[in-house]
Amino acid sequence: MIGSAKAIRSTHAGWSARAKQHPCRYFALDGGSGAHLFAALAGRHPSVQQVASPRHADLLIIVEPVSRTLASAIVELARSLPHPARALLISTSGTELDHFTSTTQADVTTLLPGIQRTPLLSLESLLDILRDFGQWPELEGMASTEDESSLLSLPPQQELELATELVVLSLGPVQSFTTGPLRLLLICDGEPVLSAQIEAGYAQRDIARAMTQVNWQQGIALSRCLDPLAPIASQLAAVRALEQLQGWQPTTQTMRFREGALALERAQNMLWWVVHFLRLLAAPHLTDRSYQLATALAAWTSRIWQESPSAWIRAQQNVESTVASRSTAVQMQLQEIGDGVDLLSRTLERNRAIALRTRGIGVLARERLVAAGVSGPILAASEQGAGDVRDRLLTRLRAAVGDVREIIQLLSVGAAASPSPICEDAPAGKATAEARATAKGPRGTIGVHLVRSGEERLAQVEWQRPSAALLPLLPDMLAGQKLADAEVIVASLDLAMAEADG
Amino acid sequence: MNMIVTSLLVLLGVLIGTYCVAVLQHLVLLGPRHIGTAFLLPASRAMLLLRQENLQPRGADSLLFRSAPLLALSVVALVSLVLPLGPNLIGFDPSIGLFYFLVLLSPFVVALMNAGWSSNTRVGLFGTFRAAAYLVSYEVPIGFAAIGPVMAAQSLSTQHIVASQAGLWYVVWQPLGLVIYVLAALIMTFRHPFESALSGSELEGGVLAEYTGPRLLLFQVALDAIFLVLIGMGVVLFFGGWQGPGLPAPLWFALKTLALAALVLWGARFLPSLRHDQILSLSWKMLLPASLVNITLVGILTLVLTGGSR
Repeated sequence: MIGSAKAIRSTHAGWSARAKQHPCRYFALDGGSGAHLFAALAGRHPSVQQVASPRHADLLIIVEPVSRTLASAIVELARSLPHPARALLISTSGTELDHFTSTTQADVTTLLPGIQRTPLLSLESLLDILRDFGQWPELEGMASTEDESSLLSLPPQQELELATELVVLSLGPVQSFTTGPLRLLLICDGEPVLSAQIEAGYAQRDIARAMTQVNWQQGIALSRCLDPLAPIASQLAAVRALEQLQGWQPTTQTMRFREGALALERAQNMLWWVVHFLRLLAAPHLTDRSYQLATALAAWTSRIWQESPSAWIRAQQNVESTVASRSTAVQMQLQEIGDGVDLLSRTLERNRAIALRTRGIGVLARERLVAAGVSGPILAASEQGAGDVRDRLLTRLRAAVGDVREIIQLLSVGAAASPSPICEDAPAGKATAEARATAKGPRGTIGVHLVRSGEERLAQVEWQRPSAALLPLLPDMLAGQKLADAEVIVASLDLAMAEADG
Repeated sequence: MNMIVTSLLVLLGVLIGTYCVAVLQHLVLLGPRHIGTAFLLPASRAMLLLRQENLQPRGADSLLFRSAPLLALSVVALVSLVLPLGPNLIGFDPSIGLFYFLVLLSPFVVALMNAGWSSNTRVGLFGTFRAAAYLVSYEVPIGFAAIGPVMAAQSLSTQHIVASQAGLWYVVWQPLGLVIYVLAALIMTFRHPFESALSGSELEGGVLAEYTGPRLLLFQVALDAIFLVLIGMGVVLFFGGWQGPGLPAPLWFALKTLALAALVLWGARFLPSLRHDQILSLSWKMLLPASLVNITLVGILTLVLTGGSR
């Protein structure tokens, strides 16, 4: 979606065309899959700006899927908009989760009558739609939901706290520092945060249960929804586990291409996270640089794969070399992007102003992370450095450089090899009753445990979710920190709530 | 009568300048290629806000909530009167013009504190506390930075300060004073990177979180205008005000002011938003000692340059 090459360039409309454009300030509601879209949209056009308060917004933009538990927050947000209030629902209908929408997903069009709905085609088409938002009908009377009061008022214990000098700040469930909804209750004594509580579960879709209700092929498709921002990692974990169940071993070429797809996905996720994080720190110059790199990588990614990875990362399917482009231009561009990310990493390392905001806060000790089962860049930051926010930022950038170089190596090895596809005979293994497999995702290791039920069914599915392992650490991390640092610390963890809630 | 006319002309100049500041903000973010977009965006945004409803939160202090943007604009109007746009183009020229300017700046922050307090929300309250904490921390350095030109000109009259720079602008031998003044001005106007009382997703807009429609527009105009006026006073204090060859005096003043505003806005892009305690540290631990050093240096240089004759 964001990978269109046109997304990097600016359009230069004439004066008359510009005069007709309505500037649009929007408040973003991300159900769990819209983080990259919002990161791309926020920097795309000067007339389209994201705001921190719904009071300052002309428009509410919601990205599907949205779970039922978030319904009252949606209504509350829509009511906070000043009139004329308008809303846009970016629809992702047609996904594998459609079978389960009736039980876990909210019908936003019913909650917000008058909301405009559009499918997600490209960023340019979305901008075209937003330019005419002034012509849309206003939202009509909003439906009330049963548990609305739970969002409007604080829990009784926190209300009691208000009788003292302490203040309880409720951040979320819709906020900008995690990918997807999470509510933080910060009990503050002035600016210092005394203690914190979290409320998760707003993005829960129960993927594991859904996978047991369908056949294997459909289950693989469903696994892509575990982390909507890293579908390849979760799909690959499920594919590997299924292959173990079937006793099938993929070829070297297949494994290499799978790792390449994973590396690209990780690099993309990390770069979009850097864009979002630097925007949160309000560092415009560095945000622009990281935005250019993220859009460039997204654009070139679509040229690398002649066939989308979702089509060829399947169980018991060997991949031929033709899935990847060996164009020298692609490799050169990737090299340029890798160098750009490396330069950005070194710039950030030297930047004392960024260090002032990120050094020494949100420190996580390695032992604690290991005990909690945390993996990925968070653990690497604690192993290689002090484990603070700055280390997490730099570790992600270095990891992105490594991932980009990994895919360049894959393509160059492929180019040097024989043009004929490498197809080894798949060694047959022994089928098992249960299997465990992992894949290295952008937020850590995604693992899955599958238990076979019948010939084509699964009796039990258990996911190892990297963001879920981090959630219990949040209250201790935030206690004793400053309020202004709380969002920076939480954002540095890159929590994907759809994946954390399962 | 003449004073009323010149005051109105000055206010008109400030209004036009405020629009230019809004354009400059977009321009430094977008780059010079997007000058058309940058020029049209503030007007389109203003039209949208004018059509929006004026929301008032439940339980808000109605009088304070409604009056806060008007108070902010009134402060801007009053302080801009002592800005000399030309040799005879000044709304009000008392002998203590600079003192009047600095004293009347304080209620601007009071207007923002009123806005946050009267909203009856927690985020507004936090924004109010932050704004109140900055109140003294910028006033002392900005006052001390302004003392340098006063010492050199031996006058508090803004016209006299401009006239005394006919030979040499004060920025040439008081660069430290200018840096302190600009930083304190940025803190005072809640500009990036010192905007923690107004923004940050943890406060959802801070003191202005509950403002919508025309009232929000008034606040945004007031914030841009106070920035312009402070930068304008910076030009008066350090860049010879309206003085310059060839062009009419008001045009020189406008050009210098907008150039300095553009430079400050462009430079601020390279910094991330600072935390409130870091702003206070900067103010008390760096700007204040530096401003005392500046006063000492200016005192010595004034004696040396004038030979102690003044």
